[in-house]
Amino acid sequence: MPADLNNDSTPSRPTLGSLLLKSQRRTFLGVDKQKAIRFFFASNSSAAVIVLVLIMLFLLREGVDFLPTYRHELETYQHAGLEFCDLVEQPLAEHQQLCSKLRRVLSASLNTITYQARSRRDAAYQQMRDVEEETRLQRAVLTNALAEVPPAALEKLAQLRQELLTATQLAVSRLAVPPSLTPSEGWQLKRDLALLSPESAEPPLVLELLSAAYIRVDTEAHASFKPLVEAVEAFEAAPDELHTLLNTLKKHARETKALVTDFHSSGKGHGRKDPIDFASRITPLTSRIPELSGRIEAYAQRAQTAAASLPPQAGTPQATKMLSEMRAMLPGHLTEMRAAAGKLPQWSYEKRVSYFKVVLAFFFGDAWITNSSWQDFFGFIPLLVGSVLIAVLAVLIATPLSIIAAIYTNQFASVREQDFIKPVIEFIQAIPSVVLGFIGISVLGDVIKDVSHVSWLQWLPGFPIQERLNMFNAACLLALMAVPTMFSLAEDALNNVPRAYIDASDALGATKLQTVFRVIVPSARSGISAAVLLGLGRVIGETMVVLLVAGNRIAIPDFRSGLGVVFQPAHTLTGIIAQELGEVSRGSAHWQALFMVGIVLFVISLLVNWCARAFVRRFELSKS
Amino acid sequence: MTPNPTAVGNPFAGAKNQQERRERITRWLLRLVTFFIVAVTLGILALIAIKGSPVVFRSQWPFVNTKFLTELPSTLHVIEDVKGNKQEVEVGHADEVKAGLGDNFHSETTISYSGGGILGPIVGTALLVLVSISVALFLGVSCAIYLSEYAKHGKFLELVRLAILNLAGVPSVVFGLFGLGAFVLTAPVFTHMPMDRSILIIPLGFTTLSFEGWDTCVLSGGFTLAFVILPVIITASEQCLQAVPQGFRETSMALGATRWQTIRYSVLPFAMPGILTSSILGIARAAGETAPIMFTAALAFKDKLPWQKALPPLPADASIFAHWEQSVSRLLGVFTESVQALPYHIYTIAAKIPQNEYSERAQYGSVFVFLVLVATLAATSIWLRRRLRAKYRW
Repeated sequence: MPADLNNDSTPSRPTLGSLLLKSQRRTFLGVDKQKAIRFFFASNSSAAVIVLVLIMLFLLREGVDFLPTYRHELETYQHAGLEFCDLVEQPLAEHQQLCSKLRRVLSASLNTITYQARSRRDAAYQQMRDVEEETRLQRAVLTNALAEVPPAALEKLAQLRQELLTATQLAVSRLAVPPSLTPSEGWQLKRDLALLSPESAEPPLVLELLSAAYIRVDTEAHASFKPLVEAVEAFEAAPDELHTLLNTLKKHARETKALVTDFHSSGKGHGRKDPIDFASRITPLTSRIPELSGRIEAYAQRAQTAAASLPPQAGTPQATKMLSEMRAMLPGHLTEMRAAAGKLPQWSYEKRVSYFKVVLAFFFGDAWITNSSWQDFFGFIPLLVGSVLIAVLAVLIATPLSIIAAIYTNQFASVREQDFIKPVIEFIQAIPSVVLGFIGISVLGDVIKDVSHVSWLQWLPGFPIQERLNMFNAACLLALMAVPTMFSLAEDALNNVPRAYIDASDALGATKLQTVFRVIVPSARSGISAAVLLGLGRVIGETMVVLLVAGNRIAIPDFRSGLGVVFQPAHTLTGIIAQELGEVSRGSAHWQALFMVGIVLFVISLLVNWCARAFVRRFELSKS
Repeated sequence: MTPNPTAVGNPFAGAKNQQERRERITRWLLRLVTFFIVAVTLGILALIAIKGSPVVFRSQWPFVNTKFLTELPSTLHVIEDVKGNKQEVEVGHADEVKAGLGDNFHSETTISYSGGGILGPIVGTALLVLVSISVALFLGVSCAIYLSEYAKHGKFLELVRLAILNLAGVPSVVFGLFGLGAFVLTAPVFTHMPMDRSILIIPLGFTTLSFEGWDTCVLSGGFTLAFVILPVIITASEQCLQAVPQGFRETSMALGATRWQTIRYSVLPFAMPGILTSSILGIARAAGETAPIMFTAALAFKDKLPWQKALPPLPADASIFAHWEQSVSRLLGVFTESVQALPYHIYTIAAKIPQNEYSERAQYGSVFVFLVLVATLAATSIWLRRRLRAKYRW
């Protein structure tokens, strides 16, 4: 019996009293077996705490050096004069946008005249390509035979030619003449195409005629839109001289930057070089400020003149609208250019880059540019905007769905329905996210795109959409992923509503629906909010779906398109880590920047959790 | 629940009818939304089953595409002859087939990762799951035992609970970063030649303990995954322990058993089946995660199984002991190899190669197999839990 009481007690002089009252225990450093076991479990239970601390530590260890590294990079950017060039280069980038708008205006205008001729020509060429595609095997054989050295036997060639001819004729006979061509043209086309062979260098006669007709019409169109054409060309050519000068300066700055990199890499070896004299390296840039300002002014003048010579009306209403948009954008752009010219003399290469500025550049930077030959930037905003937009959209989709499902399942569904609905919704949790991402790529993307091209849905903002992979697509899938979390938490919250509330409501003669929507749901409100928040936490941290489906374009979405913004591709915090970390070397600024993103994600997840807990606590208080 | 108003001659009967109609409509709307979710889920599963099963199953005996399940992924060569017939050829035989076609050869397309089968990824995922579930069960169950059997209310308990809750919310890609920093680049190894990146080197005489990391391998990935699923395991285990009636413990204690004896003989045996079934759900989760293993264990392509590593050949007269030692090192070496994993394989073939009919086949096949594995695990867990609930009802 005593041995069973305590396995390892070995009483030296067993007396009845000692056995019953105090069993002697073998101890080591004052710790007996029971304490040791207890200590073992306690230490294991602190694993969660330790892991959480370790996560923070390791993220910080790899990421914290980001600030000095990035500061150094920004300093080099400044000292070498790259920033100087960017002062002019960045506002000048808008010229490209204006040009592309003008080009679209021009092509739309020309199109009003040339449309028919071009579509006729294109239709005919398409026919030729169709025939060529159908007979490609025979053509390939014949071409090979012709190219053979020594040349193939004549009989064989003839036979091959015959085969090709037969195949071509078969293909031609299947052709349907496009309606834009006249019957006689169609007949000629068929006749010419039937003789198509790889040896004839020139395209069939009909096609050449159609091309010539198109060129003629095109010239006419250019003549009739002469003012527009000339203005567009003048506008496009306006910054040429500025670009030439800027490119010289950029080349110089890039050379200085290469020197800096070289200097720092040689610093690790033995032969340390002399530090770079930035002052003398920068003079070639600063000495040309007057010239640069002059060219900026010249550019502004020229652009203004060109814009003034634009005709008030373009070929189509849309084109006219775009033209006026462009006109509205131009003054702002020119002001910016002139302001840049004004900033040039004040610019100094030796201004200190403070850590505050580095932190600002990371958290509020609007560009994430890596592997650039010019300068890498690690701005956080494009990724954050992508992540937040997708997450919010996903929660907006998932919340009504999952809460309604929870209400229905909890309050209205029969037991058999519940037994069917609950396992299915719980099963969504088991579907791996990469599978959902795959569904987004292979199915949902095409479905959304097809739907957006349905003609009676064109009133929706952003329709028709261009990109298969976009934020909306990702948000739909993430919503599906968030549904089980929200559903079960919301259902718990509904379950926790005290029975007395329901009975009281029933006793007052309320219908089922009234009880549900005026008593049960309001009392479960904070639990439901916590469910929504935890769903948000799950969605914002999700990686594979956004990596596969969100489109991975690193740019701040264009909010000018209103709600249609959700149909643009974007990149996310989680996606960027998954995509880029595998390709960067340890310790580089890029690597550290990705760990910084990780730190931010970690902090966001803690915050979301904290908020959700606060809600739950309120919910528990209100219950008691 | 509401008494029929017309029966008592309620003057508002007409209004009530309208209300009833509105109520019925609302109810139907709610039902519609609920079943919309269900339909979407079932639709996705059906789609994968319809497109994936032709890849995995065959209409003739043995009814299963054994090649797909027993071969490693490889590059698929599609060779077209002048007649337009297409032939799918494995990577080694492409030149043979081309030579055989001679003049009739027309064109060749290669599609990465889409040939062969998916044995490599399946084995890799199995190994990762094995490591992660061992680590997570050990830590998780002991943590749950402490929380449920030993801990008293206090600061420490609060802290642990808070940590578990927060750990559950950490994004999986952050776990990946953690695994990369901690296990791949820092974890301790015994080695004779410490690397430059080692942060701490402890000489032990016969060898040195160097904190230089395990590199990308099954161990790193498995440990990372273990911490991803740790909160799930802890919560589930704690629930199972709590479900054991308090009377069991009291009876045991009253008979004079120590705390540990109580746990060992009166609590754990009854909680263990529940813990194991719940941990199956953890396995499903671990198998499905991609982001944590991206930088810690997974490779896009590997032409060998983990145990097929080339070891130096033994001399012909090697003792049986040498053979034995080599087998053991081969077996243990499995865990220090990087592997392919199913989710990462799906990511690779879905995102990194151009899409065509051949890659689509590989995609749906892999996704189908993956989903069947995960769903089987999840369904087993749910089914076992139901049976257990019915069995242990106290």
